[in-house]
Amino acid sequence: MYAVETNDLTKRYSKKAYALKNLDFTIDENEVMVLLGPNGSGKTTLLLILATVLKPTSGHAEVMGLDVSAHPTHVRRLLGISFQEARGFWRHKPADILRFHANVCGVPKEKRDTLIDNLLKDLELWDARNKLFMHLSGGQAKRLEVAKVFVHRPKFAIFDEPTSQVDLRGKRKIWAQILRLREEGSTILVATNEVREAEFLADRVTVLDEGKKVVCDSVRHLKDSITGGDVVELEIDTPDVQTIEQVLSRIEGTVKISNSGENRFKAHVSMAESWVPKMTDVCYRNKANIVSIRVTEPSLDDVFLHFTGRALREDTG
Amino acid sequence: MSEIRVVLALARNDFSYFFRTKWLMAILLSLNLSDMLVVAFVYNGIMKIDYLIIFIPGIIIMGLFAASLDTGRRIWLALREGVIQYELSLPVQTHGVVVAYLLAGGAAALVYASSLMVIALIVLPASAIWSAFMLLPFLFILAMGLAGIAATLAAIASTHGEFFFAFQNIVQMALLTLSTVYYPLEEIQKFLPPLLVTVVAANPLSLATEALRQYTFNGAPIELSLLANIFLTSSLFAIVGGFAYLGALRQIRVKGKL
Repeated sequence: MYAVETNDLTKRYSKKAYALKNLDFTIDENEVMVLLGPNGSGKTTLLLILATVLKPTSGHAEVMGLDVSAHPTHVRRLLGISFQEARGFWRHKPADILRFHANVCGVPKEKRDTLIDNLLKDLELWDARNKLFMHLSGGQAKRLEVAKVFVHRPKFAIFDEPTSQVDLRGKRKIWAQILRLREEGSTILVATNEVREAEFLADRVTVLDEGKKVVCDSVRHLKDSITGGDVVELEIDTPDVQTIEQVLSRIEGTVKISNSGENRFKAHVSMAESWVPKMTDVCYRNKANIVSIRVTEPSLDDVFLHFTGRALREDTG
Repeated sequence: MSEIRVVLALARNDFSYFFRTKWLMAILLSLNLSDMLVVAFVYNGIMKIDYLIIFIPGIIIMGLFAASLDTGRRIWLALREGVIQYELSLPVQTHGVVVAYLLAGGAAALVYASSLMVIALIVLPASAIWSAFMLLPFLFILAMGLAGIAATLAAIASTHGEFFFAFQNIVQMALLTLSTVYYPLEEIQKFLPPLLVTVVAANPLSLATEALRQYTFNGAPIELSLLANIFLTSSLFAIVGGFAYLGALRQIRVKGKL
């Protein structure tokens, strides 16, 4: 049984405005699934449907075997969601907000205060513990939002852009908490448009674009699936740059070669492991000296570009 | 945690929210006290009738009314700030959220009106103080009904704050003007047509004010028919308001917004 399963899931906000189109999607138990996509790709809509906040227009969605439309209250008992925008009671202090949430979600009374204090310290909210929610900074409010899920420790945890507005130090703490939650047995769904976050957290990544699933696989497989995904940066000492460029472009496995200034070249190749020996042989025969070689792998940005033809961040501003 | 406990936790949270808005409490209290301790005494000197016994119970009901209507402001804030989405994600059914807000609105208004009543009892000693306790459950139902109206206004106004406050003022003007809060029914009959007089007489604010005047401050024996009328008219408000708010929340579940 999957922890989460959707079949033919569609959400329409108006006759023409589709947020999700016939989405088939699964998450295994105890898996961290990352939804990757630009703004407006349907990530938040999917999360809100799974959290039973939104109703689907058609199709079917299950969480832990429970239909989200037929048994929403039961589903809500199993999950916790951290919203994209922090949702807090304006005139409450962080600890009050967490205490309320812990109470409503059934966290045992004797554990609450210790858990809340530890979280406030770990997420660096301790100094802001006496501020009202409305006086918190964007980053503090966001950390408090994710803290709600950490205090609840649900079987199914949903995070919508958990580290947006949070500094790098804060991001790492939140990522560590998310992974700790997974270690304890939770199934986790994270929506993000941050490549680094996806790479750090994901067991698998689902790429969404315009409400449709484009591809779903592990980060490694997604990167490997790109032809020309490996990038080899070269510096070659040669008097005839044009000839070398032509020779390099004829090597088997070369997808694209470009001269990035003077004697520097950037080669997009299918597989760096087999391409580099051929390249050294060609250079030797053409009496060109290799000064440096640097092999890099594609990022999830490249994966998104490869599968959708669009850059992940072009409409995120 | 059972669903009832979640509803009560939500209600307690909203109840505390009312008292956290200290500036609002200060304004409300100062307005009500100035009415009670200044306006009522001045008018009492001007008018032929005993205006204190007319107006002081009226102010208690006005306080109840204003505090109940604050539920709408809190709901409007929850809608505007997206807190409502958070509440819809909690392990409770949609109508549980509605009930929680009505309970909190009723309880907050009752506590506020009770504090006014304590002050009023200093100014105008009660003839039958126990009747005040008898009236409290009915005032609670009335406050829930008014909170229901406020919830409806908040849902209609959606995220447009100016609409909400405009609607609130219109309702306030209509319900208070067409009531016996400021004047006894005998005086109103001289100026308004019979149809409106019927409306004034059936207004739950009039009924509650009359009950306070007659039973608590005049010491008249309690009539069950008047209490039943308060219960029925207030329940009607609460039911209509509750369903309107429920409709708004269901629309949020479908459209993602109002």
